[in-house]
Amino acid sequence: MSTRTADERVAVATPTARAAARRAAPWAALAAAVVLAAVIVTALTAGGPRERFSPHDPSAEGSMAVAEVLREQGVDVVPTTSLAQTRAAVADGQTTTIVLADRDDDLSSSQRRELLALAHRLVVLEPDLPTLVDLAPPVASAGAADPVLHADCSLPAVQRAGRVSGTSQGYRMLEDPAAADATLCLGSGDGVYSIVDLPEDATRVTVVGTGAAFTNRDVDRDGNAALALTLLGVDPTLVWYLPSEADVAARHPSLASLSPDWVPPLAVLAALTALAAALWRGRRLGPLVVERLPVHVRASETMEGRARLYERARARLRALDALRMGALTRLAALVGLPRTAPVDDIVEAVAELTGRHPRAVRDLVLDAVPRGDRELVRLSDALASLEADAVARVAARGRKGEWTP
Amino acid sequence: MAVSGWFVLLVAIGAVPLVAFDAPVVLPAWLALVVALAALDLVLAGSPRALRLARTLPARARLGEEAESVLVVANTGARRVHGVVRDAWEPSAGAIRTRSPLDLASGERAVVRTRLRPLRRGERRTEHVTVRSWGPLRLAARQATLRAPGSVRVLPPFLSRKHLPSRLARLRELDGRTSVMLRGPGTEFDSLREYVRGDDVRSLDWRATARRGGGVDLAQRLIVRTWRPERDRRIVLVVDGGRTAAARIRDEPRMDTAFEASLLLAALATRAGDRVDLLVFDRRVRARVQGAGGADLLARMVDALAPLEPELLEADWRAVPALVRSVTPHRALVVLLTSIDTPASAHGLLATLPQLTREHVVVVCSPTDPDVADAARDRSDAAAVYRAAAAERALIDRERVAAAVGRLGAEVVTGSPEELPPALADRYLALKAAGRL
Repeated sequence: MSTRTADERVAVATPTARAAARRAAPWAALAAAVVLAAVIVTALTAGGPRERFSPHDPSAEGSMAVAEVLREQGVDVVPTTSLAQTRAAVADGQTTTIVLADRDDDLSSSQRRELLALAHRLVVLEPDLPTLVDLAPPVASAGAADPVLHADCSLPAVQRAGRVSGTSQGYRMLEDPAAADATLCLGSGDGVYSIVDLPEDATRVTVVGTGAAFTNRDVDRDGNAALALTLLGVDPTLVWYLPSEADVAARHPSLASLSPDWVPPLAVLAALTALAAALWRGRRLGPLVVERLPVHVRASETMEGRARLYERARARLRALDALRMGALTRLAALVGLPRTAPVDDIVEAVAELTGRHPRAVRDLVLDAVPRGDRELVRLSDALASLEADAVARVAARGRKGEWTP
Repeated sequence: MAVSGWFVLLVAIGAVPLVAFDAPVVLPAWLALVVALAALDLVLAGSPRALRLARTLPARARLGEEAESVLVVANTGARRVHGVVRDAWEPSAGAIRTRSPLDLASGERAVVRTRLRPLRRGERRTEHVTVRSWGPLRLAARQATLRAPGSVRVLPPFLSRKHLPSRLARLRELDGRTSVMLRGPGTEFDSLREYVRGDDVRSLDWRATARRGGGVDLAQRLIVRTWRPERDRRIVLVVDGGRTAAARIRDEPRMDTAFEASLLLAALATRAGDRVDLLVFDRRVRARVQGAGGADLLARMVDALAPLEPELLEADWRAVPALVRSVTPHRALVVLLTSIDTPASAHGLLATLPQLTREHVVVVCSPTDPDVADAARDRSDAAAVYRAAAAERALIDRERVAAAVGRLGAEVVTGSPEELPPALADRYLALKAAGRL
């Protein structure tokens, strides 16, 4: 046994923590730069929540213009997103207007009814059917109204506006307006009006269909601004209420609010345990060793390939000819003829040996053309039986030759 | 670094204080504790980088037999190294257990033994040794991979040596050492000696008998010539290491079959007193064993053949006559171990053969696939018939090449991988008996 001894000084393949950190530093710096750039771009382009009638939204659909002008005019505009906030924001119901735009139908019936009790004036922007049923039962939705509407009632806001334009919704009174003490304004004809002002309980509810007049895009057209500012600027305090998911959650308690407080940290701990387990099981004891495998191919691969080619091309005659050539070579040796003997001689000798008709033998080894796979199999079987027959005859003759010289 | 199952358990146990105290501070506090403990463990663990390695390996091992790799690990660090060591042998080295526990105090050394049962011939390598060293708390470990290359040369198995005794017996019959004393064409004059009963009367040398002069008993004065088979003939084995050698028949590549046949013939021929040279060749000489004799020849042959694998290029047969001439200028038995499958692939061989057969006795030795012959007989359904046709076509092609080789004056030896080595040995004995060497 000869020995080979490795160098006493061992080269370490694993980088030290410091070397690994140094190698990873450029990549970490690159990743940090990308994250930083993403944060900056997001901060520059994002301008608060995009929502129609939102007092924070400076985009075309928002209502930041109206809210800001009202603030400049000395109105205390308080944006709220839940009923609880709204309740807290209303200090004195008699000096407060609430403007409500419940576009996603987040509020329930009882929540809407509660709103009625909060302030003495409630402006409802483009209400849908459930909102109307709760806040203004005698009013029904009547589809789109005319794009340009003219002042036609005694409401101060409408009087001051004169002409209101932009897409608006129309509403229709289901009861007699006089009986309901309702004021109908901005009519499009046929009993359809875009502003309906009526008392409900102790509150004056103003149903406003001319939502466009409140948006940043259309607020400066015709008398839109006058309409919006006058409607909302009556009281010193304006609570701008856009209901949100919080109102839905207030009705239906979530799983999180029902479960104990330690559940979320426990989930975090479970995830960390799984991570630790993955590290425990996944850490390999050193790198894999590469096996240098030589190239080996099955020798019969070419034969198999050729067989599949024959089959796919339906080359029956060619296949049969290969079988015939093999059989003829063996038969020639059997009857004692050279490999190069003419086919006719072999046919003669074989016919004589096996006692078959020479025509039949010739047909089998030369002339027959297979017309289908079934016939190919039949001819191949016939060839095999001819060969077996010849072998048996030669063997029998050999035995006879041995015993009777 | 690495963490243990204890570390995972410790993280999971954090659920108990989490639920018991139900305060938001518990989770970060627990995690900080666990991380601090693991960090402490890491700092206290012995450094695997402080280990020194030395290997003792057998230079050679025979395929099918077991070898032992010895790794001496010395701890030069200040702390105890307690953990596991992995000697990274490649899979075909057949290491029975690559991981061993290790517990080394500072300044101590230990021996790690790995038993190898190689699966393939050739250089079986190990690249590195990985050590994982646990801290005293068994929570975290330091891990490092140390370069410690080593290799064992795994020799071809030479399974066909089981055929050697019977062939040697046949050789002794040819040789003068048995009682059969026949004068034949494959023999040369050895010596004169007195006639003993049983000697062939045809080998009586009457002239020598007459020279010896008169005596009483004629039978005691008769002189016979003794004969022995020719000796000191040259045999050149040329193994084709090109792409055809990469073909696998049953479970054995053609190249390995060629090696088996070469080894059997070499073992036989050296006993018969002939000189054997070996060339493995595709476009360049991949291995060459020349001028070795006796037991040394087989040792050098297996050593030269062990690391060879087929190259995926076509052998350049035009260079072979010059190569054979460089081995011996005299008449020799040239054995070409290649494949004769199709006229197209054998073209280069056929073009070169006349040059070789003019000067030498040439034997072309080719393993055949028994599956092909089986396929030619199977006619069970249409797919089998197409397969049989392709098999017949392959057999016809091989017959044609064999016939062409025969016409060019070379002999052909074919057989399945198991049959080929003894068949080649038999052909050698036949040639020797016929005195054609």
